[in-house]
Amino acid sequence: MPRRHDYDDWYPRPSKPRAADGIKARSKRGKIGESWWADKWIAALEPLLDSGRLSRGRSYARKGLVLDLDIGPGVVMSRVQGSRARPYKVKIAVKTLTAAEWSKVIDALAGEAIFAARLLAGEMPPDVETAFWAAHVSLFPTRSDDLHTDCSCPDYANPCKHVAAVYYLLGERFDQDPFLIFHLRGKDKDQLLAELRQRRAAEDLALAEDSPAYEVAAAPESSAESFEPLEAVLHRFWDLGDGLDAFSAPVVRPAVEAGLLKRLGKPHFERKPGEITDPLAAAYRAVSDAALRLALGEDDTQVT
Amino acid sequence: MTARADQAMIDAMPILHGAWLPSTYPPSLGGAFAVWSEVAPGPPAKKRGGRPPKVSPHPFAGDVDALEQVLRGVAGKAAPLLVDLPSRSGRPLASPMLLAEEADDGEISLATWQVSACLLAPEDALRWLASLPERDRLSPQIVLGDDIRFWQHAACWQLSLLARQRFVPTLLPSDAPGAPQTTWRAAWQPSLDDPADRARLEQLAAAMPPVCRALRLPDDASKPHGPARLLTSFLHTVTDACVRGWAAPSLAMIARAPVRPELRWRRALLRADPAVPGSANDLALLAGQVNEWLAQLRSDGDAAFRLCFRLEPPEEPAVDRDERAWQLRYLLQAADDLSLLVPAELVWRARGQKLRYLDRRFDQPQERMLAGLGKASRLFAPIEESLHAARPEAAVLTTDEAYTFLRETALLLEESGFGVLAPQWWGRRGASNRLGARLTLQATQQKPPSGGVGGMSFARIVSVDWSLALGDETLTLKELERLARLKQPLVRIRGRWAVLDPEQVESAIKFWETRQATAGELSLQEALRMLLGAQEQLAGLDVVGVSADGWLARLVDELQTAGGQMAVLPQPAAFSGQLRPYQQRGFSWLAFLRRWGLGACLADDMGLGKTAETIAYLLEARSPGASAGARPNPALVICPTSVVGNWQREIQRFAPSLRVMVHHGGDRRRGEEFAEAARGHDVVISTYALARRDADMMLTIDWGDVILDEAQNIKNPGAKQTQTIRKLPAEYRIALTGTPVENRLNELWSIMHFLNPGYLGSQRDFQRQFARPIEKAGDEDAARRLRSLTQPFILRRLKTDPTIIQDLPDKLEMTTYCTLTAEQATLYQAVVKDSLQQVEVSEGIGRRGLVLATLLKLKQVCNHPAQFLADGSPALLAGPDGPEHRSGKLARLNEMLEEALAEGDRALIFTQFAEMGGLLKGQLQEAFGQEVLFLHGGTPLARRDEMVARFQSGRGPALFILSLKAGGTGLNLTAANHVFHFDRWWNPAVENQATDRAFRIGQARNVHVHKLVCAGTLEETIDDLIERKKALADAVVGAGEGWLTELSTDDLRQLLTLRQDAAG
Repeated sequence: MPRRHDYDDWYPRPSKPRAADGIKARSKRGKIGESWWADKWIAALEPLLDSGRLSRGRSYARKGLVLDLDIGPGVVMSRVQGSRARPYKVKIAVKTLTAAEWSKVIDALAGEAIFAARLLAGEMPPDVETAFWAAHVSLFPTRSDDLHTDCSCPDYANPCKHVAAVYYLLGERFDQDPFLIFHLRGKDKDQLLAELRQRRAAEDLALAEDSPAYEVAAAPESSAESFEPLEAVLHRFWDLGDGLDAFSAPVVRPAVEAGLLKRLGKPHFERKPGEITDPLAAAYRAVSDAALRLALGEDDTQVT
Repeated sequence: MTARADQAMIDAMPILHGAWLPSTYPPSLGGAFAVWSEVAPGPPAKKRGGRPPKVSPHPFAGDVDALEQVLRGVAGKAAPLLVDLPSRSGRPLASPMLLAEEADDGEISLATWQVSACLLAPEDALRWLASLPERDRLSPQIVLGDDIRFWQHAACWQLSLLARQRFVPTLLPSDAPGAPQTTWRAAWQPSLDDPADRARLEQLAAAMPPVCRALRLPDDASKPHGPARLLTSFLHTVTDACVRGWAAPSLAMIARAPVRPELRWRRALLRADPAVPGSANDLALLAGQVNEWLAQLRSDGDAAFRLCFRLEPPEEPAVDRDERAWQLRYLLQAADDLSLLVPAELVWRARGQKLRYLDRRFDQPQERMLAGLGKASRLFAPIEESLHAARPEAAVLTTDEAYTFLRETALLLEESGFGVLAPQWWGRRGASNRLGARLTLQATQQKPPSGGVGGMSFARIVSVDWSLALGDETLTLKELERLARLKQPLVRIRGRWAVLDPEQVESAIKFWETRQATAGELSLQEALRMLLGAQEQLAGLDVVGVSADGWLARLVDELQTAGGQMAVLPQPAAFSGQLRPYQQRGFSWLAFLRRWGLGACLADDMGLGKTAETIAYLLEARSPGASAGARPNPALVICPTSVVGNWQREIQRFAPSLRVMVHHGGDRRRGEEFAEAARGHDVVISTYALARRDADMMLTIDWGDVILDEAQNIKNPGAKQTQTIRKLPAEYRIALTGTPVENRLNELWSIMHFLNPGYLGSQRDFQRQFARPIEKAGDEDAARRLRSLTQPFILRRLKTDPTIIQDLPDKLEMTTYCTLTAEQATLYQAVVKDSLQQVEVSEGIGRRGLVLATLLKLKQVCNHPAQFLADGSPALLAGPDGPEHRSGKLARLNEMLEEALAEGDRALIFTQFAEMGGLLKGQLQEAFGQEVLFLHGGTPLARRDEMVARFQSGRGPALFILSLKAGGTGLNLTAANHVFHFDRWWNPAVENQATDRAFRIGQARNVHVHKLVCAGTLEETIDDLIERKKALADAVVGAGEGWLTELSTDDLRQLLTLRQDAAG
């Protein structure tokens, strides 16, 4: 264990690194990483550093000083803009799983569809680690057995604040794509899905074909509204356009009470079940009541 | 029309305008609804010296005091606003609703004006807009601009979104400019992910009047909003304000700001202040999480296939509640062929990234299925459960879960973009096989009743029996109890699945126990209500079926096919003339309802001959065969004063055998004399006003029929007149109207209540059950039920019906007889007396001139006293019950135009007199709240072309007044399908030429030509001469009025003197 002393200030610094155009953390203050699996990833790093280096690491991550982030199987390469002109090179190496280990993990993952289902829905399955325990390995690396960090900066402490900055940003990446953790451990999304698929397919019914890369349809751009300027519509300046004769919007209760809320499900940020959704559900009901009362005339208390 | 009258008219009619005013800063204010008004445009102000102010005040905008009245208790905040308006020669143009004459010269361009407005807070704006009537007027004096009408639609949609709970909680940055760091606010935003709502947004945005975008705050320099953006700004702000305001009472508990950011957000969603206090970073983080949470509502959109769920019931019902006997199968469904389904089993067996099935290729089938299941598992726990298997093919459900799935989950899954296949017996709109009561009605008498309204309403002649039913199956109590013991919401009865809602079981058992109390006897009217589908619920139980047999079943059958399968009676022998085929059907229908003692509303389009049909009916009812020996009681026809003469003449024409008595005018019979005379006649014609004034006399007579012409006169149920008329003792009742009565619910109730008292329930019940749900909430179910209840009693044929068109000539000419008012009659007699005295003592050219002047004066009197007096007096006079017409002819024209406009028809109105044209324009504009065109000799050519183009365009004004001389030739006005000749011309060729403006090449519809004639006057004489001596017409009267001047004074007196029956 390195000594918990911060000798960083010993070095004369020409200037503080300023914000750069690198990757900026989305979180502007407080913790970085939203999901529990990002928390879990970051938790492996935090005991290794003093609070000063950690907080500077977060600050680097927010200022965009991490210039790039290349995630490959077993290794993350990155450049971080420090106080010197040349960016420092940071390398985080994570032990990949052996083929035998992966095979066991994938067996376990294929055993329950919920793992793949949740992953594909953009979420890390809550009990994903149980699948790794089957192979006596862990999804999230710990220092002792499988995490090695390296930085070209002069700080003798390792990990240093530059490593921390990269580490935090990785946490945010994992938020968005839980498959990345698997990638780091040696299997990318396509490989993982293909192997899962093969485990599920008992017999070869369909022809395997070469497929193009997995495509995600881009959301249509919400274009700026185009409309006629007032000068162009002087001849119908006051007129109601056609087509409203058939306009109707029934004022009725929904088929399912608080249906939108039910479709949304429990939010991740709700800690006690119902502490947010229950009052909101009550609000939905109250609003329907009030809208119907208003539509049907307020003197009438009986709303059907 | 004089300038004074013009001024008075417009002063009384402010036009309300309004628009949403989005406010970009400060955001907490959000925006407001601005209401402003236009009033009379006075003469242009004289240009004063010096430099004009940068933005001039709008010269004819109303002030704020006037606005406060119309806000009806909603508090507004006065504010000056800027509005960009089309302007010319330094003046804003008036909106078309204001009906102002405009100068013709100068370019039109946009200029900015300042107006005084009232700003309404978002929630108040919604309340106010929702409270406005569905008409173009707030009151007879206050006209709602098209822009207000637009926002009424928007408000209706807004209420619909709120009632349907289409809104979501969000956390947004409130970037106030200059703030040191981002602050956050909680906001409720509308969710428009339902395709129907997206269509509504497009529909409304496309129809928004441009003036809605022309309003802004004086210091607002932001870019103008487009229609869609303005509309969404309205929805966002109003949704947020309303949810906050309306949800709050349920959440008084959150008093202090909690520590955790998500709880602060929750608190800020439910109180007036939207600000979420706390660290900006914590909140930015939370905002990201909230957005991610909300992103789940986005569906995958245009995928070629999707995950689909199919619920399959077990072969045998579950033994106990915990047994998972139901299967919820997983399938892939092709988006373009919903019947193409790939079972999960096949999907799991596919090893590649593609699956071929029935010649279709599915890309990434497993991943699609898994991703879909991952999403759906959040909605329904049994799905999540199933995912612990390696290759889940289905979820297994208990009966309760299956019921929850059908009732709720299926809808949510569908909304989220998944396919759902429910068992057939569930049906689209919920279960068809559900528990309810079934009614069996049986007539207790072998023969149908007779004896008119009373018999129908009160005699208890139908027995009712009730049974419980589950779908089509009748249940015994034993069966019900057995099923209830299962305590399962879905049960199998005699091999079929049915829904047994536990709450309903309880009602059903209770219902069974009290069944004796509800069984019993009904009147025919009550029975009809049930058979025609009014009854939806009974003691908390749905009514799932009503059946009848015998004559009762046949009656309902015939009623429901109103006129369709009914036997058509031959035209009564005593009817002189020929009924058209559809008229024969109409008269048979009246006679059919009469046989059952049911009141009938004949609502055929104007011009189709309701009067003739009714006269045929009267003859039929009084034919020797109809009444066994005894002479039937007299019929009472109540009509507007203006058509008394018309009724009399039509009866004389079609049914000369009927003895008609007119009860009208100052010298009418009173007391016992009246009663005796009435009993001695077949038909008594009187007016609405007299039905009230002479109520004592009329109530003493047992009328055979009471017939209301222009029955919309009793549209106000509370009016004394309506109440008196309802009390008139009558065996049979008929209402005639040409207005689309079925769309005006209060009028409908009032008329139905006269025809078949009690049938639609009390007015209060009707309001609650039908009027408000239909008009305010767009309740289609209530509308359907009301239609089913009333349709059998209303016969409405349109002149555009193909079956009617074939019975009608292309050009339908009708003479409409009008009755002079007392004022007109007095003036008329005075003119005749005066003039004849003078004519007697003069000769030669002087005599000729005198005769011509007399003819002119008499025609003026027939048209309108104000035209004759030329004193600028108003068209209508204040009477005890509101404004009263001074001219019977003008009154009649108003009634007829009301019907024509209600049908969306367009009309030409010809008059010989320019001053009458002006008077008509003013009065009609005020009466109908819309612009009326007037083309006369003084209209410049360019203006004429513009008027014709606007009238023909189909969107412009619907009424066009033309002077006979200026507009009688050359113009092409085929957009009109009604032509009114307000006064008669001696030469029919001139009239025909005018008529042909509408009836010429390009006219696709029948043209109705109405000639208005004052009964008993010179006009009728002229009309007789023209009609009877058509062949001679050109020879005798072709030269105009000249020949009259040669008549002897005695002949003249005979020709001119007002006949007895002309007026009162």
